[in-house]
Parts: sequence; C-alpha cells; structure tokens
Amino acid sequence: MRKILLMLTAFLMGASLAIAQERSVSGKVTSSEDGSTLPGVNVVVKGTTNGTVTDSDGKFALSVSTGSTVIISFIGYVTQEIAIGERSTIDVQLASDITQLSEVVVTALGIEKSPRELGYGVTGVRSEELTNARESNILNALQGKVTGMFINQSSGNLGGSTKVVIRGVTSLSGRNNPLWVVDGIPINNEQDVSGSRIQGGRDFANGASVINPDDVASMTVLKGAAASALYGSRAAAGVIIVTTKKGKASGSGGPTVTLNSSLRFDDLFRVPDYQNEYSQGSFGKYDSSSFNNWGAKIAGQMVTESITGNKVPLTAYPDNYKDFYRIGKTVINNVAVSDGNDKVDYRVSATTLNQTGILPNANLDRLTLSFNVGMKHSAKLKSRFSAQYINTSSKGTGVAGANDPNIIGAQAFPRSLNFKNYLPWIDAQGNQIGTVNPFTNNPFWIRHENRSERKDNRFIGSVETTFSPIQNLSFTARAGLDFDKDDRLLSNRVGTVQRATGDFTVDGITRTQVNVDILGTHFLKINENLQLRSLAGFNYNKRGFIQESVLSTGLSIPELFNPANALTNQATRGFSEQVLMGAYGEAALTYKEWATLTITGRNDWTSTLPKESRSYFYPSTTLAFVFTDALGIKSNVLSFGKIRASFAQVGNDTNPYQLDFNYFPQSQAAGQYNLNQVFPFNGRLGYSASSTIPPVGLKPQQQTSYEAGTELEFFSGKIRLDVSYFRSLNVNQILSVPIPESTGFAAQIQNVGKIRTEGVEVTLSADVIKKNQFTWTSTVNFTHNVSIVEELTAGLPRVLIASEFNGIQIMAEVGKQFQIYAIPYLRDPASNRPVINPLNGLRQGAPSTSLGTVFPDFIAGFVNTVSYKNFRLTATVDGRFGGIMSSSTVAALRSSGSVKETLPNREGAFLDTQGVLLNADGVTYRDNDVPVRSAEVFWGNVGVNLAAEGNIFDASFAKLREVALSYTFPRSMFGKGLKGLQIGVEGRNLALLYAKVPHIDPEANLFGSGADGFGSERATVPSTRSAGFNIKLTF
Amino acid sequence: MLKIMKRIVIIFSIFSFLFVPMACNEELDINKNPLAATKADPNAVLPYVMVVYSNRKITEVGTRMIDVWQNVAVTFNSGRDGTTPIFVAINSWRILYTDVLANLTLVEKDARAVGATNNNITAIAVILKALAYHDLTCLFNDVPFTEALNAKEFPAPKFDSQQTVLNGIITLLDDAVVLIDAIPAVGAANVSTGDLIYGGNMDSWRRYARSLQLRVLMLIRNNAASAPAADTKINAILTEDRLINSNTTNAAMLKYSNAPGNQNAWAGLQIRFGTGSNETNRFWGPSAILRGLLFDIGGPGVHDPRLNLWAIPGTGGTYFAQPIGTFPTAATGLFRDNLVRTDLPDMWFLPSEISFYKAELALKGVIPGGAVAADFSYRQGLNETLSFWGGSIPGARITLTSSQIATFIATKAALNSLTPANALIEVGNQQYLEAFWRPIESWNTVRRNKVPDVLAAPGSTVSTMVKRLNYPSTEVGSNPNTPGPKNTDVKMWFEN
Repeated sequence: MRKILLMLTAFLMGASLAIAQERSVSGKVTSSEDGSTLPGVNVVVKGTTNGTVTDSDGKFALSVSTGSTVIISFIGYVTQEIAIGERSTIDVQLASDITQLSEVVVTALGIEKSPRELGYGVTGVRSEELTNARESNILNALQGKVTGMFINQSSGNLGGSTKVVIRGVTSLSGRNNPLWVVDGIPINNEQDVSGSRIQGGRDFANGASVINPDDVASMTVLKGAAASALYGSRAAAGVIIVTTKKGKASGSGGPTVTLNSSLRFDDLFRVPDYQNEYSQGSFGKYDSSSFNNWGAKIAGQMVTESITGNKVPLTAYPDNYKDFYRIGKTVINNVAVSDGNDKVDYRVSATTLNQTGILPNANLDRLTLSFNVGMKHSAKLKSRFSAQYINTSSKGTGVAGANDPNIIGAQAFPRSLNFKNYLPWIDAQGNQIGTVNPFTNNPFWIRHENRSERKDNRFIGSVETTFSPIQNLSFTARAGLDFDKDDRLLSNRVGTVQRATGDFTVDGITRTQVNVDILGTHFLKINENLQLRSLAGFNYNKRGFIQESVLSTGLSIPELFNPANALTNQATRGFSEQVLMGAYGEAALTYKEWATLTITGRNDWTSTLPKESRSYFYPSTTLAFVFTDALGIKSNVLSFGKIRASFAQVGNDTNPYQLDFNYFPQSQAAGQYNLNQVFPFNGRLGYSASSTIPPVGLKPQQQTSYEAGTELEFFSGKIRLDVSYFRSLNVNQILSVPIPESTGFAAQIQNVGKIRTEGVEVTLSADVIKKNQFTWTSTVNFTHNVSIVEELTAGLPRVLIASEFNGIQIMAEVGKQFQIYAIPYLRDPASNRPVINPLNGLRQGAPSTSLGTVFPDFIAGFVNTVSYKNFRLTATVDGRFGGIMSSSTVAALRSSGSVKETLPNREGAFLDTQGVLLNADGVTYRDNDVPVRSAEVFWGNVGVNLAAEGNIFDASFAKLREVALSYTFPRSMFGKGLKGLQIGVEGRNLALLYAKVPHIDPEANLFGSGADGFGSERATVPSTRSAGFNIKLTF
Repeated sequence: MLKIMKRIVIIFSIFSFLFVPMACNEELDINKNPLAATKADPNAVLPYVMVVYSNRKITEVGTRMIDVWQNVAVTFNSGRDGTTPIFVAINSWRILYTDVLANLTLVEKDARAVGATNNNITAIAVILKALAYHDLTCLFNDVPFTEALNAKEFPAPKFDSQQTVLNGIITLLDDAVVLIDAIPAVGAANVSTGDLIYGGNMDSWRRYARSLQLRVLMLIRNNAASAPAADTKINAILTEDRLINSNTTNAAMLKYSNAPGNQNAWAGLQIRFGTGSNETNRFWGPSAILRGLLFDIGGPGVHDPRLNLWAIPGTGGTYFAQPIGTFPTAATGLFRDNLVRTDLPDMWFLPSEISFYKAELALKGVIPGGAVAADFSYRQGLNETLSFWGGSIPGARITLTSSQIATFIATKAALNSLTPANALIEVGNQQYLEAFWRPIESWNTVRRNKVPDVLAAPGSTVSTMVKRLNYPSTEVGSNPNTPGPKNTDVKMWFEN
C-alpha cells in the first residue's frame, strides 16, 4: 500500500520534472537490513529538480551530468548523497531511519492509518529498536524509548517479569496492565503466582514476555482511551499492538535467509557496599555461627572458622558475594526464511534462547517457532495465517520475599565467612552439610537441591480472511487462539532447614483465550475534498483459567516427586471463565487530507456483571488537523504542524464470580509460619464462608478521558516535536473495599472511587548532524503524569493496594498518588527530629502514616543514534525521578552490620545525635543524651525492629540502559549468495549513573508484574548488566 | 452520493442485526463459580471454625508470645519487649472475627431458622462465639461486640468496653444453656461429625458453657465495682454444679494427632524448622519463674512431678533456666518431647481450673467454707491437674501413678496453715501452673492475680510485662471508631 502510494506520488512528481540529458546512470536500491529491493525510492540529482523513482524491482535509470551528486531518499530510511563520478551504475543500500515516523501506523483492530489522520498520541517502535541489544523480555527493550510508559523490570531472575503501566495507574483493583494484541489477537499478559507473591515469591514471567523480538516487525503503543476505544473494556489501561514480520520478495528471486546470533554475558548490576573490618558475631565478639557482622575487629587473630571448625586467622572475604554469583550467559540464535510473490508470501523463523543465570544452577531455554503466511486467492479474497509456538523451560528461579528457606538475601554473606567452606553441601547419604548454624541452610544446597522449575508451552495463532466484494468495501473475519500451559515444580529436599521433612508443589496453570472479530470497512470518496472511512464489527472474546496444584509434604524417598511418596497431599483447584462480546463502529471523515474527524462507538456485553448492567455503551471522538496544510503555511522554519484532540469513554467489567455469596471448601486452616492444619482434619472436612460481601447493583467501571497534542516539524523535518497532554477520570471503580473485620467480613465489593490521571508527554528529536554519510540523531522522551485518588467511599481514607511485611503497605489514599504507608519515627512536631526512648536511647515508632508516593515525578529517556558510513552506534540513557521505595535488603544489610555505614561508633556506646528527648514538662524537647547500648542495637532498631521509615528511600535513578555498535559490511564485499553481513557489540543496563537508594538496583521489586505493589523490595534476586556480540547474516 | 450513503447504512445495519443479538444471555450466563457452594452444612463449617481457632491461637499468641508471661525464657519473633508483633495482632483479629465469628454467625442464623431441633447447633455456635470474644477482649481489651458482625447496620462497629464484652459473654452463655435445655428429646439435629470437641454431647457443652462463664466471672469480679454482681452469679453457677468435672469425659480439648497435617503446631514448628524434637532443637526451655515453681519445691530433690513430665534437665542436671530473651544451651533445662509433641491436645478447659477457682473463692470468702474448704478444692485441683498431665491427657508418653500424685500432694502445706496472703499466692501459683502451655489462660492468671510476679523483659520498651496487644492496622485503617493506640503496658479493665 505504502509503496504504491509512494510510487504514485513519485510518478506524479517525476512527470513535472525538467529533463537535462547528458549521460545515463542506472542502479538498484536495496534495504541494508535484509537486502530486499525498495520500490518507490526518490532519486534526485542534487541541486536540480531532475529525478526519478525506483521501479518495483528497486531499479532506476536517470540522466545526469558528469560530476553530479544524487540524493537517494525514502521515507523511513536514512537519506544518502552519492557522488556519481564516472560510474554508470550505482547500487545503493539504504539503512532504516528509526527516528522517522513510519508512514502508516497500526491502530486498533489492526487497521493501518496515516499519522495525519490520528487524533491521539501513539508511539510506534520498529523492530530494529527491539533488537539493538536483545532482551529476553521484549518490554525491557522499550525502556527509555516510549513516552507515557512506566516500565519496570522486577528482578534479575531469568525469564523474570516486567511491569508496564501506560499513562499512570487508573484502577484501584489492579487493572493497570495494558492489553497486548499480537497480529490482531489479544493475548494474556498475566503473571500467575504459585503460592504467595511475598512469602517465597518466584518472579516467573509475565505472559507477553514470550514475544520474540526477532519476529516483531513493529510495535505500536496506543496510550489513550480514544486510541484503544474500539478494543473495548479490556483496553482501558492502554494497548500494545505487536505486528509480526511477514515475508516479502527478495528482489533477486529465491528466498531470503537471515541468520542472527547473539552472545551475551551477564554480571551483577550492583554489589552492596560491604564493610570488611568487622567479623561475624555480636557485641564485639566473634561468633562463627552468626550471620551478623557485629563481631570482633578483623586483625588476623586466631578463631574457630565457620563450618569447618578449623583454627584460622580471622580474615575478611570481601568478594564472597560476587564469588557466589556467576557470570551468566545468554545465547540467542535466530534463523528466518522468507519469500513472496504476487500471490503468496511467507516467513518462517526459529529462535533459540539459552541462558544461564548469575544465580548458581539457574538456566532458561526457550524455543520460538514462528510462521506467517499470506495468500491472495483472487483480487477479492485474501487470507493470512500466523502462528507462534513458544516452549520455555527454566530451572533455579530465585526466591524473594520472606518466610521461605530458599531466599538468599544480600545479608547472607557474613564478612568473615569463606564461601568455599560451603562446599560440598551434601553428603553421600543425601544429608545437608556445611551449614553455618542449624537454623540456616547452605546456600549451595538451596541452589542445587531445591527445585524451582517451570515448563511453559504457549501457542498463539490467528487466521484472517478478507473479502472485498466491490471496490472500497471489505469484510474481514479474524479468529485467534492463545493457549498457555504452564507447569511448575517447586521442591524442598528432605533435610532443608525449615522444611525438614521435604515437600514439593506441582502447579499446573492453563490459560486460554479465544478471540473472534468480524468487521466490515468501507471507503467512500464523497467528493474531491471529502472522504469517509467507516467500519463496523463484532467481537467475541472468551478467557479461561485453570490452576491445579498439589502440595505434598513429608517425603519418604527424597527427590521422588510423586504424591504417593508424601505423607500429606493438599490439592487445590482454581477455575474461571468469562466472556465478553462487543459490537463496534467507527466513522472517519477526512477533509482535504488535512482534517480528520473520527467517531467510534462500542457496546459490550460481559458475563461478569449483573444481568441488568452487563450491557454498556461508550463513545469516542478524535480530531486531527494538519494546520500547516490547512493554512497553507510554507515556512522554512515550521515545515509541518498538526494538532489533535480526542475524547473517549471506556467502560470496564470485573473479574468472574464476584456476585454470589459463597462457601468454599477449605484445604487447610492456616497458621503462622505456614504451620497449617490440613483438611480432612481427623476425618472431617472444613468449609468456610467467603469473607467478602458481594455487591448489590454493580455497574460497569467508567473511564472518561481527554487528550490534546501537537506534532511539529521544523527545518524540513530536522527537528521534530510531539507533545501530548491528557487527562482521564475513572469512576465507579469495582473495588473490594476493606471494611472493618469486626463486621465479620474483610471486604465488600462496591462501585467506589475516583482516580484522576493527568500528564504530559514530550518527544523531541533532532537530526543534530546530517552530513555526507554522517548522521547523528538525538531523541529526548519525557513523561510526567500523576494519578490522584480523588475519592473512595465515605469514611474511608485509604484502600490497601498491596501489603508487604513489617507493616509496609501500598495504599490508595484520598487526595494523593499511591503511597507507601508504614510506621514512621515518632517525631518532635516542632523540629521534626526523632523522639528518643529514654529507657534505651532508641528511636520510637509512631502510628502508620503515608510516607510518599511510589510513582516518579517524571520519567525521561535520551536516545542517540550515530551513523557513519556503515557504522551505527546507539545509546539510551533513561531514568525516573521522584517517588519513594522501601528496601528490606538495605534494612537487613544494616541491621546485620554488613555494610559500610554501620562502621562508625562500633566501639562503645552509640549516641543518636539526631534524636531528641522529651523533657519532664511533657511538652518541650532537648538534645538526646541517652546512649544506645551499641551501634548494633541502633541499627537493629532502625533496620528491622520498629519504624519502616529508616528503610524508605528516594527511588530516583538514571541508568545507561543500552549501547549498541554495529557495522554493516558493504554489499560489494560479497560474492553471490551472501547478501548482507552485520556485526555488532551490545550492552544493556551498563551503569547506574545516579541513584539515591544504596546497595540495590532501584528498579528491584518484590511483587512482580502481576500486582500493583510498586516501590517495594525484599530480598529480590539481584539484577544484571550485560554485554555481548551480535552477528547477522542475510542470504 | 445519497445512494452510496444508503448502501453503507444498509450494510452496517445488516451487520448489527447479524451480530448484536449474538450477545445472547446463554453465552454470558456463566458467572457461577463451579468450585464454591451457596450453602454449607454446619458439620462441615464447625470443624473449620474449631481448627482454625485452635491453630491460629497456638501459632500466634502461643508460639510468639509465650515468653511474655514467661512460661518459657524466650521464643521466636516475640513481642515480650513491648512492641506488638504486627502479624500476631492482624492475624488473631482477622481469624477471630472473619473466620470464627463470621462463620459461627452464619451457622447460628441457619440453625435458629430451623428451630428447636437445631438448638444443639445454635448452642455450639453461641458458645464458640463467647469463646472467641473472650479471646479477643483478653488480647485487645476494648473490642467491637454489640455492633460487631452486622455490616449492614453497623459498617463501622463501635468498640465496647471490656466490661461490656465480658458481661455480654455471660449473656451469650446463658442463652446457650437455655437453648440446650430446650433441645427436644427426639429429632435433634446430628452434629456429631462437626463437633470435634464433644462429638455432639450436649451435656458436655452445657458444662463447658457454665465453666466458661465461671472463667469470665473470675475476670469480671477482679474489678472491685463489678465483683458483687459477679459473685452472685458465681454462687448460682457453683450451686447448680454442672461444670467440667472430669479429665476424661468432659474436659474440653481439640485433639491433634500424629498424622501429618493434623499435628499440634507447637510440635509442627519443631518439625518445620528443625529435627522435630525440642530436646534436640533446643528451641524452648523453662523460664526461671516456671523452674522456681517446680524445682526442689518439696525440699531438696523433691520436684513437682510435672517438672519431669514437661522438661528434661540440661548437662548440669539442674534444669538451669536461661535469662529471659536468651535461647537454651546444652546446660539449660528443655521442654520435653512429652510436652512438645504432635498429638498434644489443645486444652480449652480442664476441671482443675474450676477447683482452683473454688479454692480462691473460698479463701476470699465469696463462697462459704473458708480456708478449709479452699484447701479441699486446692488439693482436688492438684490431683486433677497432676492426673491429667500424668496420664489422662491423650497421648501421654510419661505417666504418674496415683500414689506418686498423692505423695507429692501430701508434701503441700495445708492452705489453712498459711497466712491468707500466702495461701492466695500458692493458689495463684497453682493457677499459673494449671494454665501452663495455654496462652490466653496463662496470660490471664498472671494479669489477674499478679502471681507469680512477672517483670518486664530485659531491654523492654515498656515498664511492665506486656499487658495487651495494639489494634491491628487492618482495623485501624478501616474503622474510624478504633480507639487510639495505647502503650502495651496499659493494664486491662479486669486487672487490679
């Protein structure tokens, strides 16, 4: 389509060109990316109006005078100027220019539109940007590149999850993850939990992480409700549209074969700033069985060594943390074959991803098979099939949170412990050996004997047929299936401390999603200036979920994972299904190609709401206005200008099975420390009523949003500016509102709450230098948004979003953004200094309060691309500024005396000089003069025991996110067969340029992508930085 | 132009007519959870209530607070230093209100709707409600009672004074007795499966109701102003004399077993976090107070026989006790696997508790007979508690003969030979031992009697032994009627 249009324009242009024949030069233009021919490319003699366009085979012929230079330009590619010299043929390879707006944008329902017609902000991402420095989770490749997106990689686990929020949180009930659509089919992006998110949480992948960057042609992020209104309820939190690569003709006949290999090494991103002056122990005494580092000053004195019991000089082991973690390795191999002709096109691709993690014994293997074929049956009928099969198998996923023996926190590395003493970890009888004390496990035992395995089989496929009975009218039917079978095995070997009798959990999760769209589109040219494009369709979507798990405890034979080998088996089953149907329509009226008014409407019918409110309608309208065209502005400064505005409403349903009051058969009566009683108990079953009061007269949730923006280009497009302002109001949220438990119930489902989200997104990009074969393009992305909870229900000041340990909670509080709600220090109201307990010299806690928002004030990205001849260098820096986070890792590092800030005042008493004491008058305060028994007690109090405030930090950071350098070998170097060769070096998460939180990666998060537990870190698996090589061959 | 527009309208109308009606109800009527029931049999709900009540009590207030009243010298993640362990408060509150009381309210409502034939179910539900409120007020002092469990009318229940709650418990239990007395001779519902305590024996439940009333009245009468009314009721109950009076036939216990999954969590913790045996794990050892009440109590080498039932000596043979807050060493006395075992029952009410109440009441002149009658009840209590621990308790691994028991009791001075104050201290000490290993009862005896004298733990942030828990953040955050925080050394209403 785009090529035809371009050829057409170029043809029209060409017809009016003056002709000055001197001699003829001919050539062929191909893409440097895959060697495919490029039709419709402009070839113009510099300084003249003499020019032509390439034909369908990418060939051109042009008359030039000797010594002239031709300018070869094509939208989406970097323009080249070539001196002809004496040559009569020139073959040109054009490199794609990722900074330019692609000429079409894939919008809702896969409809391609010109950016001129769009009345809302979208961001397109081309495949090159996703494969600069390959990521196993595609989302991470978007960091810093897309405005309006909060992207957070939860942990350093292989295959770990990444949380994305587009344009701020709009839901109090966790519906803040965007909808993912692959080739027109919504896919699941859930992150399912085995057990608890916070007690031994394993950060398994989010559903969309299986998308293979090598198979992606483009991604479009639909940010506002107007952009996604046609997708209906499910798109209220934005949509990420993925279009996979299609086959095309190579130009030289025969298929194009691309081979791509990446090898990358992963290392710890950040190492805590450990102290190495004091040994294991307490109160200045060395203790070989301790994990605390409050022991003796290390001076080579003879002591009994941990684990071995040998007499050795007391020594620090500064690198035991780094030595425990390994250098991880990632190998990605991709082979793709594509071809096409007038009737058929296809592309098949196979990708393997093999990773070993930085955690000992962690690995991940993924195989992706992808297939895309299109067929033109006739002028009126065409079809396309696409399918992806992804098999992922991972072992040794690290465990985060608390209350699980498999957690290895940063404080588990006592400074005077030689980690070599941990080896071996098992004896010939299978007993655990080499432990520091009887209450903790040998970390190598945990890593090698306890399993944390996942096998995931995913199939995403779609079939699409388009019938165009008459010109300008077509009908499309598209059906797709997303099937995911996720099997997990988690075990604790017999002899694991805290799980002495051994246990294993087999957890099988099946998610299915069937989606059918039937739609008709019609194009009508009303008159010379007016066009109407209309669309109507129907959507059916069904989602199913099954989770079946068995916890088997008390194993007779270790490592035999058969429930019959266990003394108790607790089986649980989860099941849900829901159906959503929608009828939708759109009409877009375009006037003179510079003004487009689009109106949409959709009605949904959902299975999850009460009958009387299950049907709901919502409209949207957008306006795009290219004012430079409309007003005839022809300026060298302002070369293009467009403004856009939109309004949309989107309704939303709720989760299945929320309407009835139910009794649930119980598999257990839970106790502290997971000391659970199992039913049947002495032969009796146990039932319990739901602790949630079902809703009365539940209505759909409603989001109303407005957006205005502008796209401006200056100096013939050398500087480009895209600005959006948006505002949305979310009301009637369907929320499980916590009610006083003294009512007998913990929650009631209600339509409550109002969140107002407001923000600005700015993209400024510029061709800083564009000379001869040197180009330097620079892009700054800036996002600022706030999501204010304007209203909850009467008398309810705040609602719990996610709960962590030690009273740390993520709360939605009226008048504020999501907050960390925790215990602060008790403070003197006048000086704001902590009030000291006169009995022991320690700071004291005060009633829990909101300590700040978990969201940044702004997010920024800075992307630079420099090309010179065949070299290309890109670098991305991104950062988040503002907001707070809690870190229990920092707390534990401090309370255990592991890090440098705990060194001062170790000898003798410790006076908290920041504190004040209440005078006898009960009103005034004086400087604190009551010493704490020791620094150990002070840091223990600050770190763990009391106020969480001591472990709450400014979450701001900036990272050197991505650097990639590639070199494309000139075509002339190869003979027949090989069409392209590109080599590169790439690096990700290379440096933490700025951070306020000490010791840990500021992005680390305990909750993963499946919950809204922003700003909370607890023993999270450390994240990685990576560097590696890439080679790409095209045949 | 018009023709074209018309064509579009027709096409889209066909579309709408074709597909919109497809959004039919049949396909959408799938919102019933296939894994849940809308009604439940009390025989299935009661076991959950009883087990979750017991297990949560043992694992929270039990394993995490037992060093507050100093049965043991130290335990894990304790609140002995004056800070309320957050999850002890959150979980205890949640389980008691939303799991125990809420389910009981539903069971009660269904049973009352049936009428007299379901009086047994109603009565059990009401008695267990009384027990849950007893625990709540003994942990938190003022708690929602009159407005609790009625979200429709009272979305934010007010907090009632402990006095109101304790008196309300007496009323609940009176109601339960009336219900039991009105059970028809034939046609009563079968609750034998669901009743894990008494297998549906309503005479035992009636005795338990009255006994629980006595326990609560002992708390009420501790407040001088409330004593006269309470004493009248106490006399009526003791005159009626249908109380728990047997270690074997009507002692209230939830029985655990050795079967994995149904094991007492005291031992479960030993299994989960160690070898399964406290004797080898060395988690818990007797406190100095406990040791002092048992060791050499009848002269050198003459220990209370319970010492050997509950503990083993350390390497020095002296049952040496660690200071509060310090874990045992090889030299320390340790609790025996005869105590910390998987089939140890959760003891809800034993006859010895009543006998010691009688001794106390006689000494205080509330009931007639004076010190002589008190001594009789005191010895009866000693005999009952020693017999219980020495053999009647299910699964006892070490037993005492009746002559061993008699010999030890004979070493005890007659209460009437002691000064009245000392006699009360001796009874208080025995009440402390009688309540041993039962978290709330142990805490209550110390708070009520101030005997033995349990001091603030070393390094405590409060001035005395911890007296109460702070309200859980869950209630504070959702119920504006929650009273402001008090220090944990602020005494309960029932304390002197």
